[in-house]
Amino acid sequence: MIDLSVEIAGVTLPNPVLPASGTYEIDQVHDGFFSPAELGAVINKTIFMNPRPGNPPPRIWETPCGMLNAIGIPSEGLRRFLAEQLPGMRSLGPPVIVSIAGNSLREWRDLAAAIDESGSADMIELDLSCPNLEQGFVWAAERQALSEAVTAVVEATSLPVISKLSPNVKDISEMAVIAEAAGTAVVSMVNSYLGMAIDIQNRRPALGNITGGLTGPAIRPLAVHSVFATYKKVRVPIIGIGGIATWRDAVEFLLAGASAVAVGTQNFVNPLTMKQVIRGIIDYVEAGGFSSVRELIGLAHRNPEV
Amino acid sequence: MAVHPVCRSATVLEVKQEGREYVDLLLREAEIARSAGPGQFLMIRAWPGVDPLLPRPFDIMQCDPREQTLRLFIKVEGRGTALLESLEPGAEVMVTGPLGQPVRDFDFSSVAFLVRGAGAAAVVHLGEACRSRGIQIYSILSASTSSRIVCRQYLEPLSDELLIATDDGSEGHSGLATELLDRLLERQTIDRVYTCGSRRFARYVQRLDKERRSAGFVFLEGLMACGMGDCHGCAVRRKEGNGYYLVCRDGPHFPVGEVEL
Repeated sequence: MIDLSVEIAGVTLPNPVLPASGTYEIDQVHDGFFSPAELGAVINKTIFMNPRPGNPPPRIWETPCGMLNAIGIPSEGLRRFLAEQLPGMRSLGPPVIVSIAGNSLREWRDLAAAIDESGSADMIELDLSCPNLEQGFVWAAERQALSEAVTAVVEATSLPVISKLSPNVKDISEMAVIAEAAGTAVVSMVNSYLGMAIDIQNRRPALGNITGGLTGPAIRPLAVHSVFATYKKVRVPIIGIGGIATWRDAVEFLLAGASAVAVGTQNFVNPLTMKQVIRGIIDYVEAGGFSSVRELIGLAHRNPEV
Repeated sequence: MAVHPVCRSATVLEVKQEGREYVDLLLREAEIARSAGPGQFLMIRAWPGVDPLLPRPFDIMQCDPREQTLRLFIKVEGRGTALLESLEPGAEVMVTGPLGQPVRDFDFSSVAFLVRGAGAAAVVHLGEACRSRGIQIYSILSASTSSRIVCRQYLEPLSDELLIATDDGSEGHSGLATELLDRLLERQTIDRVYTCGSRRFARYVQRLDKERRSAGFVFLEGLMACGMGDCHGCAVRRKEGNGYYLVCRDGPHFPVGEVEL
């Protein structure tokens, strides 16, 4: 019997596969694909304190092996999230991660405190790194801002905090070190890469927001490198994200040092992806003669020479 | 009862070229064929690997629960549609559906379809549903030129009257299809107008709706990655308030007064 469970900051995930925030709704439309109870964890689309409409269209643009998006995180705001969405997430079974984003240190604190107080979350993920917001401020791109935001949240909650980091920095592993020093219990990486495309037919930027975030298999080697480099520098566990389309990609992240993986864009392409990735990891663990998926974590560091 | 979309492998039964620009695609997939309602669409991906990455959305033009078939009508415009065009019978493709809202309310006795080009495909299933309820159907097909008048073979048997307009006068009325609808409305009551395939038509139908000459509905397209409300790509601005609808989740058809065109 294969043990698929992993532990992240004291929270046991039944398996290491979860959706990236904002890429897989848990609602009636998705009921026909697979049961969300099969996931390693469930997570909401990032919530802000106040409702926001999101960016003007066009919001997405396909690119080679990937896509650009500038959705701008439409959100119904904290109050409606607490009343209408969170209780449903809690009832599903897997650990609940609530993704939040603040526009100020005070908002970070207040959001975290409210989520903590709800009693319905197991962890809080800080979306410090969306590249598409109108204020244009990326907390995870500035050392001091990152440190202050993480510190503010850690002081406001006793729940383990996941810091979602931006790859649009000189060295993401250094930012992970800063987040760890500020008290984060987990880092997740990577968020999307800043990019843009030009619509040559209309001779203007393809996205309504001009720039967007690049995701999908195109970014996977970059994200694997980020995880590999960060694993050597921090003690906190890493959630690996970036272009995971198959179980092979997920295994790559685990071997690079991720304790869990999140599937994002591929959920759009194939809504069965996460279920297929879990199945594939089981087979890989079994075929490799391992008894637990935990044995894979960071294994590539022990076999550095080819 | 809510119908859950499914993600399945479907078998290509028939790939018919229609002129140089269009493909009529017949698939076999039992569950979607059984559950799809008029106005719904599906996402289709017909190639291995990750490039192109995203599945493509198409209206389910016809579905036959007994034969377990689905028919799509595709305008070949880019890489994804070119790959769909190159499919051979027997090929397996991935489909997710049915997606979007079906038309549920048939409380009207006459309808006009004002459609341009491949936009005609959006109203065929709806036309069949109207026909089976004894609703009178007037179809107005428009295109730049005669070779782009498509789906006529599907709409003609359903329609009490079918009119054609081409920009270059190569077939039917020479000029604006909206003039044909205007004349129709002078002569009789049309309870509803559904339009697809032209922003200009949508604005025209919006005016008819506002003037209460007929209740207007529009099928919209949007750049979408998932088709089921996850990516939030296919946003269309609401007429009222500050927010957006999603074409995939709230549409693809909308009362024409509710969306910013």
